[in-house]
Amino acid sequence: MRTATVPPTIKPLKRLAVHATTTCAEQASIYGKCILATYTDVRQDICKAEFQKFGQCIREAVRLEIRHPLIQYSFIFLR
Amino acid sequence: MNVARSLARARILRVQTRNYAAISSSSPSPSLTAHTLGPFQVFDRETKRIQRDKAASKHGGESSRTVDYVRDEIADRMMERLEDIKRRFSTVVDLGSGSGHFAKLLDPEKTKKCIMIDSSREALHRDPDSEFEGQNCILLSCTRVNRYPVEVERIHADEENLLQIMNPNSQEAIVSCLSLHWVNDLPGVLIQIKEALQPDGLFLGAMLGGETLFELRTALQLAQVDREGGISPHISPMTDTRDVSNLLGRAGFTLLTVDIDEVKVTYPSMWELMDDLRDMGESNAVIGRRHIIHRDTLAAASAIYKELHGNEDGTVPATFQVIFMIGWKPAPTQPKPLERGSGKTNLKDVL
Repeated sequence: MRTATVPPTIKPLKRLAVHATTTCAEQASIYGKCILATYTDVRQDICKAEFQKFGQCIREAVRLEIRHPLIQYSFIFLR
Repeated sequence: MNVARSLARARILRVQTRNYAAISSSSPSPSLTAHTLGPFQVFDRETKRIQRDKAASKHGGESSRTVDYVRDEIADRMMERLEDIKRRFSTVVDLGSGSGHFAKLLDPEKTKKCIMIDSSREALHRDPDSEFEGQNCILLSCTRVNRYPVEVERIHADEENLLQIMNPNSQEAIVSCLSLHWVNDLPGVLIQIKEALQPDGLFLGAMLGGETLFELRTALQLAQVDREGGISPHISPMTDTRDVSNLLGRAGFTLLTVDIDEVKVTYPSMWELMDDLRDMGESNAVIGRRHIIHRDTLAAASAIYKELHGNEDGTVPATFQVIFMIGWKPAPTQPKPLERGSGKTNLKDVL
């Protein structure tokens, strides 16, 4: 898993973008392939399991990043 | 019984068609405020104006200048078409000029003056007429250079009400580069353009066509269906290419030329595309749009975009389909096709 660190001043949406494309690229790809396989007949939650893993990965990445001590310190410096 | 029913149906149908025609053929569209919804209001013009003002003034216009690439490219391609027309103009009106992407390319040998009209004041005044050359320019040691090769005049006005600022039969040429896709009453605006032109006046336009951003449209739709179980519009409905020549003909233009072109841009991911669209002032302004997209849906859409449309090197493409149109206001001096059946030579003899 490639972890990307985001400067703490960056907006939450940007954070989501980085994790959705870089940190969780693998899970994103699995989810995307699942939709691709069924895209002529998509229904709600058709790739629910794949998305859960993808979403879990994003949440984990955001959580880890906020807890990271270096980033906590940089918050202090920025104040 | 059957006859009576079909008669009744026919009457209903007729009433409906008359309604349609009455609405769309009204030449100057009634000026509607942001909160009155006429039957053909697709876009929220007031929101669009605010979005474009914000985009053009963000970071002193810098963010807006970095995303000029689409407009500059299309203005350049439109200029090629103007160059093909062997005629000099004393004034060219640029309807929906934005920050003068087209005006900057005008040839001073062929055109004397450009009147820029836009509903966004910030976009209109983003690039002043002249700038100081060089970055480290100290007082008096630098020269002012003109940004625009020709004289420009700026008019801050609504593109939908052209005839309020222009007299009928007053203009030699009207151009429009990428603004007509936010117009609600397209037939009405085209009729106003024709009215404002002198006989034998030129209309040259470029507008985004229906294939524009189809990658983003499909990715968002698939993500919404899977995550939320339904769809709502995030990308505007856009004019189909086939309709444009009909619309031009209906507005009364002659000698029509319509052609399609594509600009493909590559982005690292869907997120950069969305950032750039916002900085271009091209965010969603469809009436009745949803104001938020759920984070899950966005993340899902970015994954789908990449898998469904992505390039091999991991980047994603975005397509901008452009419809170029040329039309002339009718004049007795123009060449006309001969009367049908008036040919004297048999084609068989020639071939």
